Amino acid sequence: MHILLRGRDIPNIKQLDVYEAHGGFDGLRKSLAMTPDQVIDVVKASGLRGRGGAGFPTGVKWSFIPQHEPIKYVTVNADESETGTFKDREIMEENPYQLIEGSLICAYAIQAKAVYIYLRGEFWDIGEQLDACIAALREENLVGENILGSGYDCEVYTHLGAGAYICGEESALLNSLEGYLGQPRVRPPFPAQKGGGLYKEATVVNNVETLANVPFIMTEGAPAFKAIGTEQSAGNKIYCVSGHVKRPGNYELPMGTTFRELLYEQAGGPLHDDRPFKAMLPSGGSGPIVPLTDEVLDTRMSYEDCAGIGTIIGSASIIIMDETVDMTWVASKVTKFFKHESCGKCTPCREGTYWLDKVIDRILDGRGTADDVKRIADVAENMAGTTLCALGDFAANPIIHTIRHFPDDFAQHVQA
Amino acid sequence: MSDTVTINIDGQNYEVAAGANLVDAAKWHAGNDIPVFCYHPKMDPVGMCRMCLVELGTPGRDRATGELLRNDDGSLQIRYFPKLQTACTTTVSDGMHIKTNTQQVIDARNDVLEFLLSSHPLDCPICDKGGECPLQNLTMRHGPQASRMYFEDKQLLEKHYPLGDLIFLDRERCIQCARCVRFQDEVVGDDVLAFHERGRRLQIITHSDPGFDTYFSGNTTDICPVGALTTADFRFGARPWELNEVPSISPWDAAGENISLSMRLDRDFGGKAMIKRVMPRQNEWVNEIWITDKARFGHHFTRAEDRLQQPQMRTGGTLRNSNWEAAIAAMAATLQGADGDVAAIAGSGMSNEDLWALRQLLEGVGAGRLGAWPPTHDAAPHLEQVGVGAGTNLSELGRGDAILVIACDLEEEVPIWRLRLKQAQDRGAYLVVANARDTRLEDFAVQGARNDKVVEGDAIRYAPGEAVSVMRDLQKAHPQIAERLSRAENLVIVAGAEGLSLAGSEALAAAAANFLIESGHTGSANNGLLSPLPGANGLGLHYLGFTPQTTLNIMQEPPRVLIVAQAELLDDDPAAQQWLSQVETIIYAGLFDDGISQRADFILPLQSFAERDGSFVNGERRVQRFYTAQGPMGQALPAWKLFGGISQNAGIANLKPSAAAVMLELSGSVAAFQGASYRALSRTERQFPDVGGRDLYYGGTAYTNHGGIGLQIPTAADRGADVQRRDMADVAELRAGEGELLIMPITRLYNRQRSFRPSLLVEQRILNPYALIHPDDAAAAGTIDGDLIEIVAGESKVRVRASVSSEIAAGGVALPRHLTDAAVPLSASVGTVSRVTDAVAVR
Repeated sequence: MHILLRGRDIPNIKQLDVYEAHGGFDGLRKSLAMTPDQVIDVVKASGLRGRGGAGFPTGVKWSFIPQHEPIKYVTVNADESETGTFKDREIMEENPYQLIEGSLICAYAIQAKAVYIYLRGEFWDIGEQLDACIAALREENLVGENILGSGYDCEVYTHLGAGAYICGEESALLNSLEGYLGQPRVRPPFPAQKGGGLYKEATVVNNVETLANVPFIMTEGAPAFKAIGTEQSAGNKIYCVSGHVKRPGNYELPMGTTFRELLYEQAGGPLHDDRPFKAMLPSGGSGPIVPLTDEVLDTRMSYEDCAGIGTIIGSASIIIMDETVDMTWVASKVTKFFKHESCGKCTPCREGTYWLDKVIDRILDGRGTADDVKRIADVAENMAGTTLCALGDFAANPIIHTIRHFPDDFAQHVQA
Repeated sequence: MSDTVTINIDGQNYEVAAGANLVDAAKWHAGNDIPVFCYHPKMDPVGMCRMCLVELGTPGRDRATGELLRNDDGSLQIRYFPKLQTACTTTVSDGMHIKTNTQQVIDARNDVLEFLLSSHPLDCPICDKGGECPLQNLTMRHGPQASRMYFEDKQLLEKHYPLGDLIFLDRERCIQCARCVRFQDEVVGDDVLAFHERGRRLQIITHSDPGFDTYFSGNTTDICPVGALTTADFRFGARPWELNEVPSISPWDAAGENISLSMRLDRDFGGKAMIKRVMPRQNEWVNEIWITDKARFGHHFTRAEDRLQQPQMRTGGTLRNSNWEAAIAAMAATLQGADGDVAAIAGSGMSNEDLWALRQLLEGVGAGRLGAWPPTHDAAPHLEQVGVGAGTNLSELGRGDAILVIACDLEEEVPIWRLRLKQAQDRGAYLVVANARDTRLEDFAVQGARNDKVVEGDAIRYAPGEAVSVMRDLQKAHPQIAERLSRAENLVIVAGAEGLSLAGSEALAAAAANFLIESGHTGSANNGLLSPLPGANGLGLHYLGFTPQTTLNIMQEPPRVLIVAQAELLDDDPAAQQWLSQVETIIYAGLFDDGISQRADFILPLQSFAERDGSFVNGERRVQRFYTAQGPMGQALPAWKLFGGISQNAGIANLKPSAAAVMLELSGSVAAFQGASYRALSRTERQFPDVGGRDLYYGGTAYTNHGGIGLQIPTAADRGADVQRRDMADVAELRAGEGELLIMPITRLYNRQRSFRPSLLVEQRILNPYALIHPDDAAAAGTIDGDLIEIVAGESKVRVRASVSSEIAAGGVALPRHLTDAAVPLSASVGTVSRVTDAVAVR
């Protein structure tokens, strides 16, 4: 059963009447009949965790917003720019009202008067569709003043970024939304605190997929949601599968499904039957790469289980590589991405990505030495853990882990 | 809640101020120099360079009970963050533990430094910063021995990118710390610098047009932690280790900026010591660690070719070169033969010692008329009564405090005050700016919000000439503003003279003093009156008995013998030719000849502030000393030596052996200067933040104050005197009649005064002559924007371009002083404006 990708089950759910005919905005109606605190308690009890990658408990995040502050905001992180991630896009394209409903419930729960949906610049067409949705909702008194006669006012706005990976980081996103350079901010204060959020006001920043879960939680109840998935990872998750599989695409499955089931049962196994899987990036470019061993394949895809195999589930952008793929080339591709996307604020990330790229190019060109492999490993180690946001770690991960797991791939390019 | 907390640094406990930044606290209390590049104690932390990583722990608490967790031995359990934390973004909290000397920390710092160096050019041997460079110094401590990266892969970037006329950027040397960007944004309030692009392509740019041109731009080169920003004035001029730092005081305005003159024996100055550059010297009460570009780049006049260098005497109707002995003897005879009909007019660039020697001389020949130049501001008597209280530090004004600035343009008159008052508003002070026209500070006052912070302020626009009644009737006309000012915890009023006659400026100061007295804002630090008296020693003139009223009297009843000391009368006063013609003998001592040599009987070269010892009294009544730095020009003498020499020749008093000796006598004779011996003036103390010294990376290359922080003269209110408000029922204000306008001379920081013009670099920024006129008045005069107009007021007749704008209230014309060679009126006067129809070039 799809909770999120309902566009696959219900034709035309992207139309308001169809959405409403299938229980649309029941969650909001139910929420408006409750106190904001009660809404937060339901979300807390559901065990919903942030789908943007970090997996922070959503209800707890909402509860951090100081109630006495007069101005609060909800910001929807629709910057979806992790390599190999395309889940938020399908939600917004095929089931947009569910995201808006979830955002409004969140806004009501923290008593925010405005929701900003921050879309990456390439999502301009989705932005137009969302704007049309918002206009339609205004007609129905589901957005704007005195929503459904409840006395609660809330506006929803969309905003297009300029296509920067870093603006998926919440504080850089807020900077960009305010019109500043997309660079992460010093924390504390955190976005949920006065002084740390949008325009320095307390702000909830949630991923699209996270908020799209909320209407289900409100209509079906927290226990129904909690019953799906594992003990610590409740609900469904959309897994974005790409690379060397027969059927790449989005798969909405309960959390805790094994990699094996996803890759073989759902995605149809290796693209070429005679070329077995070699490695996987389970969380796009940012997570540690892992060899696709049996142990890994039998691991459940949940926040807690992935830690056991030395990686993260993150936003679940699962990129599969078969045995023909050279991991040095992978390291180079990912490094080029992070070099391009580093905001340049912190020294280790700004300089580190630049030099990683330069030295890996040498190795790939056949000009490298064994010392160069050690050199990039050192550079990556020095970057890890020293930067303001996680991008420095993300950029270090592919190097550290490709060298750790696939030393031979590097050795073949260099003279001893 | 206690004001201090205990933190533990490397195993040692320290009591530090609550709320302090960890880098500051570690440095101030523990002498622990946590290395930084992006952090600067005068700006908000950004945590960009990652150099200040430390191990950071806080006492653990039980989640359920909130109780502090303890080890078996009873000591607190300290929970360290798994990752290293940046000290600069950390605020101290009670029980905080940091480790700065563990291998993990040392490795991290070494790694960050290696990263910085990997893209930094190795051009230290030709870099201006080399020798006083934070990156260089920290490389000695943390840097790798050799580069592990490939030289040919290094990014090549532009080496000489002009951000403006004054500041050059070397894009290769830049380490993207954003100090310059943040300085312009947070401190100055002109965000003309910014980052462009991202990643390794991140670059400093300016969109400013004309280029980076604020009055404070030079400070960015001091706080730049590498040699990326250099001044056009100094770059490639000398190496820091060749320079001798001599403490001095900026000669330009009432702020009395503490500066350090970087001296070198130089080929270009005949092997004599020469100013190579001017740097800030820390004085947190006066200028903190900032100086204006005028102080930094305006030193060239001290070596100008056209400076007077030879004593001259008129004999047989012709001015001829003479020598000091003959000239002094002749002057002594002239003065003694004048039957006491002698007067003196002294400029505000004269030091206290000079003024004392001049006064002694005049008293010795039985004369008493001591005039101050220029006779435009007469707030000094009130500053003596209710000036800002002793111990005032504008940096302490903030939330709950208020500032009123009336009838002046501090950006142009005393830029450092404008900088500091804008920052006071940033900290929460309520700023009110009142004037007949728009000023830079007014823009800040009404801005509403800055850097995501709400700032509070108001503007009052009054009709030209009405400043005094606005101040007097503030309660009636602007009750809400008056109420907020009255209720403020601390209140500072800055009263100028724009649009006022000399008497009007006195009345305005009196009205401001009344307000302060009524609202109880006198006699304590951070409360009281300020006034942008022109020149560096406007208050010294007052305390030594030289007054602008006397000057007016001298102008009306010229004496037989007039001594003019460092006052360019002809440049400043359109009527000077006329009244000087009634003087029998003019003795002129100064740096430049403004044409008075046509008339004067004696022309005597004086030394500039850079060539001799002396002291000034700044606008906050701080007596501050400056030291001999530069080699003398020709035969120029310090004025105290000249006047002392004449006194000795005339048998009045013996010439003192040094400026210090003059000051010793003066401080024993004039009450205000009590205790102000050079020894007392050169006293220093440790100032927060602790900039300077070897750890240049912390505060930049501003200099430690070794020259003294000065001594503040207490006001009458400070001494507990009962200061009385003055009845101000009748105020005579200037009123323009039918067909007339109020011509209001205004001050521009960069102007064509003789002492400024030789600084060619900044001379380019002097505006073309203009006058600001309201559209209605322009229409009445039949003129449009850009027209050549003639402004006539009294003896003054100037031709300038009309700048038609509603930034000025109708009825007044703002006419900048010293932009044309023709003198504008000394003070505001009634006059007329007409369009010039014959094509005659301006100037």
